[in-house]
Amino acid sequence: MSLSRRNFVIATSVAAGGSMVLSACSSGGGGGNSGKHAGTDKYTGSVTVGTKEDSTGPAPEIEGAKKGGNIIGIGPSDFSHLDPQRIYYAWNSTVANLYIRALTGYKIASDGSMKLVGDLATDTGTMADEGKTWTFTLKDGLKWDDGSELTVEDVRHGIERAFATFTTEGAMYVQSALVGSSDFRSKYKGPFSNKHLDSIVTDKAKKTITLKLKVARPDLNFTLAMHSYGAVPVGHDTKEKYDKDPVSAGPYKIAQHAIDKSMKLVRNPHWDPKTDAIRNAYPDSFTFQFGTEGLAAADRLIAQSGDDQYAVMAYSGVPAERLQKVLTDPELKKRTINGLLSGLYYYAINCKRITDPKVRQALNYAWPLEQIRRIYGGQSAGDYATSIISPDILGYDHQDVYGKAKKPQGDPEKAKALLKEAGKVGQKIVYTYPKGGNDAYEKTKVVIVNALKAAGFDPVVKAVDQGSYYDQVQQIDNNFDVMWFGWSPDWPTGYTVMQPLFDGATIANGSNNVSQLNVSWVNDAIKKNAVITDPKAAGAAWEELDKKIMTELAPIIPETFQRRFYLYGSKVGGALFDPLFSGFIMYKLHVKA
Amino acid sequence: MTPPTPSQATPLEVTDEDSAASAKPATLKGTESRSPGRLAWTRFKRDRTGVISAFVVIFFFVAGICAPLIAKVYGKDPYTTYGQNDPSLLNDFSYPAGPNGGMSGDFWFGIDPQLGRDVFTFLLYAIRNSLLISAATTLLVAFFGVVIGLTAGYLGGKTDYFVGRIIDILLAFPQTLFFIGFWPVMLTILVSPDEATPTWLIVVSLITVMTAFGWAPIARLLRGEVLALREREFVEAAKVTGASPARIIFKELLPNLWTPILIQATLALPAYVTIEAGLAFLGVGLSDPTPDWGVMVQNASKFYQGDITYMLFPGVTMVIFVVAFNLLGDSVRDALDPKAGR
Repeated sequence: MSLSRRNFVIATSVAAGGSMVLSACSSGGGGGNSGKHAGTDKYTGSVTVGTKEDSTGPAPEIEGAKKGGNIIGIGPSDFSHLDPQRIYYAWNSTVANLYIRALTGYKIASDGSMKLVGDLATDTGTMADEGKTWTFTLKDGLKWDDGSELTVEDVRHGIERAFATFTTEGAMYVQSALVGSSDFRSKYKGPFSNKHLDSIVTDKAKKTITLKLKVARPDLNFTLAMHSYGAVPVGHDTKEKYDKDPVSAGPYKIAQHAIDKSMKLVRNPHWDPKTDAIRNAYPDSFTFQFGTEGLAAADRLIAQSGDDQYAVMAYSGVPAERLQKVLTDPELKKRTINGLLSGLYYYAINCKRITDPKVRQALNYAWPLEQIRRIYGGQSAGDYATSIISPDILGYDHQDVYGKAKKPQGDPEKAKALLKEAGKVGQKIVYTYPKGGNDAYEKTKVVIVNALKAAGFDPVVKAVDQGSYYDQVQQIDNNFDVMWFGWSPDWPTGYTVMQPLFDGATIANGSNNVSQLNVSWVNDAIKKNAVITDPKAAGAAWEELDKKIMTELAPIIPETFQRRFYLYGSKVGGALFDPLFSGFIMYKLHVKA
Repeated sequence: MTPPTPSQATPLEVTDEDSAASAKPATLKGTESRSPGRLAWTRFKRDRTGVISAFVVIFFFVAGICAPLIAKVYGKDPYTTYGQNDPSLLNDFSYPAGPNGGMSGDFWFGIDPQLGRDVFTFLLYAIRNSLLISAATTLLVAFFGVVIGLTAGYLGGKTDYFVGRIIDILLAFPQTLFFIGFWPVMLTILVSPDEATPTWLIVVSLITVMTAFGWAPIARLLRGEVLALREREFVEAAKVTGASPARIIFKELLPNLWTPILIQATLALPAYVTIEAGLAFLGVGLSDPTPDWGVMVQNASKFYQGDITYMLFPGVTMVIFVVAFNLLGDSVRDALDPKAGR
């Protein structure tokens, strides 16, 4: 799964962006409380590892789907990067799915269940040395969009490029495992000086590539499915410029890109469906339109005039303001998909400023989860998060250290008692959230302030403009105590949550360890758990660490595992929620006659 | 967002028509003469639109001033999130559960979606805050406009030229864009990074900025009036007797200019109400949870498809207030300056 930080700025809305539908006058009020929600209860983020048969193409046909037509994806902003090694955000991955292929990938069935299969590789790889050596064999008939052959060298090039100075935006797991240090750029500078890594061995005749890791990574096959490790043709690599015009290995290639306005992808004639077990490719083309925020996109699809019948909300979900309209109108509800996100929304507590764990525990007790979720749109908007590890992750065990499932509205008495014990009654708490992206946060701040006051804190609200939000909260010496944040695991094991968020070694400006937690027993446990080869034992170990961190250190306040709804036009078929990047699985859509 | 450019208003004068009209009652009551102010008041009372508008405007001001009192009698406040505290008030999607935006005996104007605050008290406090800001701005604008305009007009020469160019620049300035761009920067300079921005600072800065841009139209208008007046005999006479410029400006010229000033001020106030609301709507100025007309309209604009009631109250009250105040301004002008129009 991919980190989708930007994805967390759900549905931005500029007021009154929609059409003036006066028929709405009739709906002066809502109905009663049914005590139910309209969405799914199933987490589809968990993954099983597929066999060689599963990895063999073509992808199973979708019933009733025909080739042809154009699908429109409406998104709030342009893709920030197209170069595989610079892709980490979910939004970029939405389009990357159409033209980037990596060694492995996720095959998603029509019920949403996922299997890890070989994408470029014939299977999910062979592990040896307890996770230190991984070997993959490439499929036959793989081609780039100019007709040249996709070789093991191109795959190696994709991994080695991740060491270059201009590819800092991508994931870092494989690089650090290959050289055994998180400061991997000082050990290897990338493939552009014609020097290759000793730790990757390729055999062109046998079409195999072997990765010899310094640190054991029993889940490397999952890691290699990230677009950050997609293949790049050695002969066509234009370095920094590759970000503008990448070469396609998938079913579509980029035909036109007007920056910040639109992007058009057309068929790649050299893509052979027999080599691809994951992707269907029914539409002749995809057009992405940028610049429409969630509320406006929802209104466009509610109205669906003209070409919008072929459109989907490619990125933002239906915002809280329109949930009632969309979910109570059966005609509209028919045109939605929904799913539970694999990510966790939480509030990071700055452990450098709030040094007393008792105060952090008190914050956890005081936090008004129920009120916050009601603002997001009630039960339809998601489930309460009570732990760091989300239900998608292997080994999830319904932990609830602070009894939030029973008292989601917060427990001010208990928080107050803890504060008194710590001698910190009246403790100032500077709370920050991104301003401008989602209006819901303007409302949640009100209930948060009320709850903190009730628990004996002195809350101070400091909103930061959404454009610079991450830059500011990821500064080590920031002035915030509690920061709104979110994290999606990169693949469904505890490592991809615990290591980026709580490993003290990663603390730096721009690091995702926003809590700035640096405790030696946590760092050691992360190192130890990462090399457990048995997935079950590893899951249990991560779960245990989750509980221990929340009980003793409480560096974050988990908020919600969110459910999101997306609208699509009536002429769009094959709509399926993407558990990896949330939104639609673009390559499974088709145009209805 | 620019306040209306002032229309040319002539100084208060007793016209022939009026002297004729008032001649008859005057003969009945004897030879009692009436001041121009009395005459204007009589004329104003005859204007039904003006009187009704005046009552509406007074009603709004009373409601604003007495907001805490009314809220106390009514038993609610604009900050408590009633809907959050009592889940039966909001439905699954955090829209008001009751019909018509949750209007009921307890919540006369309903509650707002998501937070479930009482719309009635929120609106009262919004009126109070908005009127406070616009009234203060209007007073300051009038004061600076009068002082600067009169001085420039009377002194003439280099001063006049200098002030004139400043006015030109201010009138050409894109104020709204400036405010949106500059205001957050100013606040980060003034407020330490781990302190909340105090509401009084927002209010003061709003008033300051609106005043800084608002005085120019009034000043320009008065300058023109003064240019005409200063050549009149009574000013010459005052000069000959050795009166100081300050005395001439404030004792000789100013009394002749009260009419345009009053008219300008009554037209400016509703303009500032909408400017202030517009800024809040755009995300600068006051923001949730501080009650404000613009904040309410901004919130409601996102929910009108599902909860039109919530849009209705702030929207309709603001329209009524602005229309009434503008009509009042017209009536005041008609009363003081019967030669213009009609």
